[in-house]
Amino acid sequence: MSGISELDQITRAASGDRAAQAALVNRNMPIVFRVAYRMLQDRAEAEDVTQETFLRAWKALPDWQPKAKFSTWACTVALNLCRDRLRKKKPVLMDELPERVDPELRPDESLESQQALQRIDEKIAALPERQREALTLCALEGMTNIEAAATMDVSVRALESLLARARRSLRAGLGADMAGER
Amino acid sequence: MTDVTITTERILELIAAYGAEPGAWPEDERAAATMRIAEAPNLFATALEEARALDAMLQMESPLEPSSGLSDAILSAAPAPRPTSNSLLGGLTSLIFPQGVRWPAGAALASLLMGLVGGYAYASTGVGYDQADAAYFAAFGIDAEEDWVVME
Repeated sequence: MSGISELDQITRAASGDRAAQAALVNRNMPIVFRVAYRMLQDRAEAEDVTQETFLRAWKALPDWQPKAKFSTWACTVALNLCRDRLRKKKPVLMDELPERVDPELRPDESLESQQALQRIDEKIAALPERQREALTLCALEGMTNIEAAATMDVSVRALESLLARARRSLRAGLGADMAGER
Repeated sequence: MTDVTITTERILELIAAYGAEPGAWPEDERAAATMRIAEAPNLFATALEEARALDAMLQMESPLEPSSGLSDAILSAAPAPRPTSNSLLGGLTSLIFPQGVRWPAGAALASLLMGLVGGYAYASTGVGYDQADAAYFAAFGIDAEEDWVVME
């Protein structure tokens, strides 16, 4: 972050410094969006959650206490918003899950890898909520165990248990695909 | 050398939770775990191979990007620069006293305004005139209503 601490940047953003606000958004918005998308499986809803997260951030910045990194705080808020939305949705049976088509797929990717990617997306989406949160934060977003545990408000041991169960479920569900990776 | 000792079971737990890549393991256990694995690779080979296969699949995940307008929408709701108290006070002062503040003149103007407003408020009630008239008539022994009648 080229010599400017996150706290300095937050202080400047809170006082209306447009450059500091843009830097804060550019650095943290993508992870918030990806976490929300992983949880909700819907781009528009993920963007709503991302926007709401930053609206809360703008209100919180004047009284910011540097207890955690901004990204940890933002992902915690986003996860809570996602949980609220998931609670309001009626349960969907696995057979009813829509097939997802990732618009980001490159045309040169083979059909086989596209299908494998789609299968892993579906398996991740089918994981229980807390396991999906843990896997998203640690395995997909590269958070440390301490950051991820803080974001989810669980102990590190509980996080490890969720991660281990998530990976076990994925291995069981992706057996044939994984054999091809070895 | 590392001071942290680590068991085989704990290393298997790390692999099960975080995968095969030591960089994903908790920092305080990483060195001890990698050293122990190097000492007895056969103990962990199967677990590492399975974890590596899943890691490879998770890495296939292409990064999702939000739509281009989201950043602008978020920034449009960001707090605006706060005016400093000096500039706010200065603006107000220059609006009221465009030629600059002159306290003696300002105080005189305020006194004049207070006198005018107070006098008008007192006069508009009508009470003051009645009392003054009554005092005048009483002083000169005049019964105002009867005299007026007599005069008619």
